[in-house]
Amino acid sequence: MASGKLTVVISQAPGKNPVKRALEEDIAVQLMLGGQVDVSVIPHLYDLPADHTGLMFLRSLPGHFVILSWLYPRAAHWVLDRQKIGGRLGRTRLVDEDEDEAETDDDSVAILAEMNGAHAETASETHGKTSRTIWSIDLRVRSDAAAYVEEIQRIAAEIAVPVVSLGLSFPSKSTPPQAPSTLPVISPPTPIAEIGAASGANTSGSVQQIGTEELTKRRWYPVIDYSRCTNCMECIDFCLFGVYGVDALDRILVEQQDSCKKGCPACSRVCPANAIIFPEHKTAAIAGADGDGPAAFKVDLSKLFGGGNDSAESALEMAVKERDQELVADGREAVGMKVGIPKRQEGKAQSPRDNLDDLLDSLDSF
Amino acid sequence: MSDELTFMMGQFPARIPTDRNYVATHFWLQAIEPRVYRVGFTAYAVRLLQDVYFLDWSISDGAMVGKKAEIGEIESSKALSTMYSAEAGEIVRINPIVAADPSAINADAYGEGWLYELRTDSSLLSAAEYMDVLAASWEKTQAIIKGQMNQ
Repeated sequence: MASGKLTVVISQAPGKNPVKRALEEDIAVQLMLGGQVDVSVIPHLYDLPADHTGLMFLRSLPGHFVILSWLYPRAAHWVLDRQKIGGRLGRTRLVDEDEDEAETDDDSVAILAEMNGAHAETASETHGKTSRTIWSIDLRVRSDAAAYVEEIQRIAAEIAVPVVSLGLSFPSKSTPPQAPSTLPVISPPTPIAEIGAASGANTSGSVQQIGTEELTKRRWYPVIDYSRCTNCMECIDFCLFGVYGVDALDRILVEQQDSCKKGCPACSRVCPANAIIFPEHKTAAIAGADGDGPAAFKVDLSKLFGGGNDSAESALEMAVKERDQELVADGREAVGMKVGIPKRQEGKAQSPRDNLDDLLDSLDSF
Repeated sequence: MSDELTFMMGQFPARIPTDRNYVATHFWLQAIEPRVYRVGFTAYAVRLLQDVYFLDWSISDGAMVGKKAEIGEIESSKALSTMYSAEAGEIVRINPIVAADPSAINADAYGEGWLYELRTDSSLLSAAEYMDVLAASWEKTQAIIKGQMNQ
């Protein structure tokens, strides 16, 4: 951050998909040539062990940054949070084309207010860094590097404006990284011509590769969205593999992440608040696709139109089946519905089904 | 479409015309020549899908398919699904209008919004039989949707 530029971190796709690598490289090169931001590349965020140099680098960042990853923004945000890299989730205008962008303006206002000293409280803030924003961008929403570069330039300009217009100055190197009020000093955009003239000097940065040569093994574990979690403990009751634990304040946490069974999203299905994310699951809602209400993600109607068997399994039935499969694979006995069944859902199953109308109408109203 | 039956999805009336056949996976089939049927989504299916904006076929005209073979993907504002063949047979022709712009599915599900033409010898349901299927599976349908709401 010594350069005072916005930091952009590219989290690589797992595996070696050449198309994905090419997009990552295109973005990195274009950003580097633009010279307005510092670019770093780390391996796939979700797979990183806590002591990985990539995470240590992220933890060392004192101010705002942008992370581009092959994950839903909400998933990336809570993976970072889990690794004690906290901040306010910045909204990006670069979203899936069909998603609503209505909140963008409000958010910009909030960011500006915050830059002026206001403290916007949002539930997503943890680990103390309420003063900084982390913009999380999903690399799957566009296939061309230019769209990402443009959005990053917009973000860089957005956070640069108030700093410049208020004439504030911040000590850069002397500021301790943990100071909550630290804001990056953003230089005014440098004209391309100038960059060209100065190439070879320190203005046009290089792309910093951080731990990308180390092999990271693929992982599978739940990530808790603490803005949704109600600490109801149904996940810890349901999971029989010892993944969950509680901290000194009795708050739920993912304690033994590597005890989790690859591919099993059962706890996510029993979570009444939809707070458990498996970033690599194929169902968008489980993988952390954004949205708060029932209308925010899509219903899979495949079963109705001829897919799978005809049984309409509830989320709980699916979860029980998935858990039993893992128990048996471990040489343990299947427990079915006998253990750790959420009380809330048990009650729900017995009550008469209410009308679909409310649901459909709520969908309509969105 | 002279006569039609109506299935109430809560407050929403799903029209089930009696001038054609059905399958339990919520498609109508209307004979256009012997053994060849136009296939489309029923009003019930369209109500659950809502605004369809993406339809991608993985097969082309003339493909031989088994019953419930995967033949494409569909996505709407509220839902997505794999597309499965309504019956075993030959996909004679895909509706080019709908393939280019799937909004016809919403605008005219029983007419211009047909999906493909299928040559099949399978036996099909009558409108009344399809109504029975709907009545019997309505609870289950709601459970599928609600189950997914809690995933």
